[in-house]
Amino acid sequence: MTTIVISGKGGTGKTNIAALLVRILSENKLVLAIDADPDTNLADALGFPVTKTVGDIREGFLDEKDELAPELDKQSYFESRVMSIIEEADRFDIIAMGRPEGPGCYCYANNILRAVIEKLEGNYEMVVIDTEAGLEHLSRRTVRDIDLLLVVSDVSKRGLDTADRIRTLANELNIRVKRIAVIANRVRNEHDREKLKNMAEKMNLELIGFIPFDEELAALDLDGLPLTQLKDDSPAFEAVKEVVERLDLN
Amino acid sequence: MAEEFPFEISPMYEGERVRKGDMYVELGGSTKDGFELVQVVDDPNEVEDGKVTLIGPDILDMEEGGFYPYGMIYKVAGEQLETDLEAVLERRHHEFQPYMQGYMHLNQRYDIWIRISKDMIKNGLKSFEQIAKATMMLYKNELPFIEKMEAIYITDEEKVKEELAKAMEIYKARDERARAMHDEDADVFYGCTLCQAFAPTSVCVVTPDRTSLCGAMTWFDCRAAAKVDPEGPNFPIEKGECLDELKGEYTGVNEKAVELSGGEYDRIMLYTFLEYPHTSCGCFEVIGFYMPEVQAIGWVDRNFSAATPNGLPFSSMAGQAGGGKQTLGFLGIGIQYFFSPKFLQGEGGWTTTAWLPKDLKDRVFEAIPEDMRDKIATEEDATDITQLMEFMKKVNHPMVAKWAAEEEEEVEEAAEAAAPEAAAIPQMPMMQPGMMPQMQLPAFAPSGGAAGGIKLVLKNANIKVEKIILKKKE
Repeated sequence: MTTIVISGKGGTGKTNIAALLVRILSENKLVLAIDADPDTNLADALGFPVTKTVGDIREGFLDEKDELAPELDKQSYFESRVMSIIEEADRFDIIAMGRPEGPGCYCYANNILRAVIEKLEGNYEMVVIDTEAGLEHLSRRTVRDIDLLLVVSDVSKRGLDTADRIRTLANELNIRVKRIAVIANRVRNEHDREKLKNMAEKMNLELIGFIPFDEELAALDLDGLPLTQLKDDSPAFEAVKEVVERLDLN
Repeated sequence: MAEEFPFEISPMYEGERVRKGDMYVELGGSTKDGFELVQVVDDPNEVEDGKVTLIGPDILDMEEGGFYPYGMIYKVAGEQLETDLEAVLERRHHEFQPYMQGYMHLNQRYDIWIRISKDMIKNGLKSFEQIAKATMMLYKNELPFIEKMEAIYITDEEKVKEELAKAMEIYKARDERARAMHDEDADVFYGCTLCQAFAPTSVCVVTPDRTSLCGAMTWFDCRAAAKVDPEGPNFPIEKGECLDELKGEYTGVNEKAVELSGGEYDRIMLYTFLEYPHTSCGCFEVIGFYMPEVQAIGWVDRNFSAATPNGLPFSSMAGQAGGGKQTLGFLGIGIQYFFSPKFLQGEGGWTTTAWLPKDLKDRVFEAIPEDMRDKIATEEDATDITQLMEFMKKVNHPMVAKWAAEEEEEVEEAAEAAAPEAAAIPQMPMMQPGMMPQMQLPAFAPSGGAAGGIKLVLKNANIKVEKIILKKKE
């Protein structure tokens, strides 16, 4: 199983890149897409909106725990709940982590959920996780080892700064990351490329690809349509495909 | 051993998910009735070992991609078997069935959800009989005290409904038996270290009469978890000798307290508030606070954010008493503990309680003894100590009698005011809400309430360090 985490500064189009990645990877592999960013919606972008999240299961448990049968096997109860909220597409499945925790104690629920999700991940060849720059789900160890951490940046110094911070954060959290690379998104021209390339080099960040600004993608985005409708020959799709090949993920 | 079945049987298939596109049929689940039941039969002559009865269509009669009801009943007999073991045996069903490659078994009892993969059929699965036989083989291999075992599988819609209704009665009776279990009936208690990450000296003792402080784990959960993962956060605590039945002091618990708290605590009483109380982690659902002015206890839950009669809200007190400390005058508990017959047994149970937030009082109303129900104030009756005192006098709260009695003795007792109650008082002035360390802060925040610094306690330490590097954080 290969675990890919996609992160980056808000507004960089990271969820769109994640959706395209899932689409491309699932042509050859069985993929589990995990939407771990409560602010965005990977599931929507993939055209399979989820109605319930892992967070909902957790809250539901806290609400009803006193009424459950005393000898109930809670691990099996949680596992079944998690399985029931997975959306199944043809070649990939989607699960959403949902909103962050409220007050109260989550030690027990999280401990079980961690085991359940780990077990679930074992069923797939690839796991693609879309997560916010704070890496909240990673810090809670829902994910242990990461094969590839892809940070999406827009054409800005701040986007690269975020990449740098994420790298530091991953280090501090003791998450084992085999490779970190940056994808620059919505790149307009050669000038953008050169500038980003130079900056990334100085920061010692691996810049693995440039995704051009894509009119068709922007139009889908504007209408809130899933990126599964994006044509195979659109510039953004082709550029992500190139990144996949360069990273030898197929 | 697996040769006779057209599918692999191994623990490695546990957790295998059969996706919708790969499934031949779905059984039970959210669309159809389903249940599993293990029944111990006293007369071994009533069980025909190895026999499988199928009521309803067999697997090959089912339509590919279809959804069907599913009932699995096992009758077991054996010298050492008794009805009490049924739940334990049934739990293993969820462990054994997923060993079959291509067979997804989720959940339990009347919530089972099964998917059989197309591959299973392709590889030669022809009948539920094979599933039942493999399951029984696993049971008998793993649990040799099962001498005879017979299976009845049901896929007929009407019959599943009928048998499910009967099974529901059995589950219900089982739950009632489990709820009637008390600390005296258990051989061991369980410990939990799940929240020690931020409550390092927390000693969470879970007993049949005392759920965990977070309310998430019962004694049964801990027992199951300890069995599945003996190295994990849940483990048995031998009760040892019972030193005080009323207050709930056990030598086994005391010994474990020393170990779990790193030497910080060596005595814990399970049913007391003012004498060696249970440690409070930070995960607790409710915190109790002693009010010396009225010599009674108030309780507040996490959802009540306003100040309690002692002037402090939940968060302040949780910050003060949390972190795994044994703090005289405060006690974190799980809500279910209110329902326990052992609730503060050491100090007279509910008679010491004087205040609860309205919502919490409603929630635990059934647990309050009838004669105490109108004697416990809520925020509607009292928001400060003076009002609470008035209320208690008005309803003649049991503790009021104690005030009068002690007023007379006050002169003599004044000199020896170092009673445990008094020990809690000096901490009170420091607890101004704005200054309170929140529970998210490191648990080793100084307990004296002074700002900054850390307290390091090393007891019985045997540490060898080659090099210590102190660096300014980048």
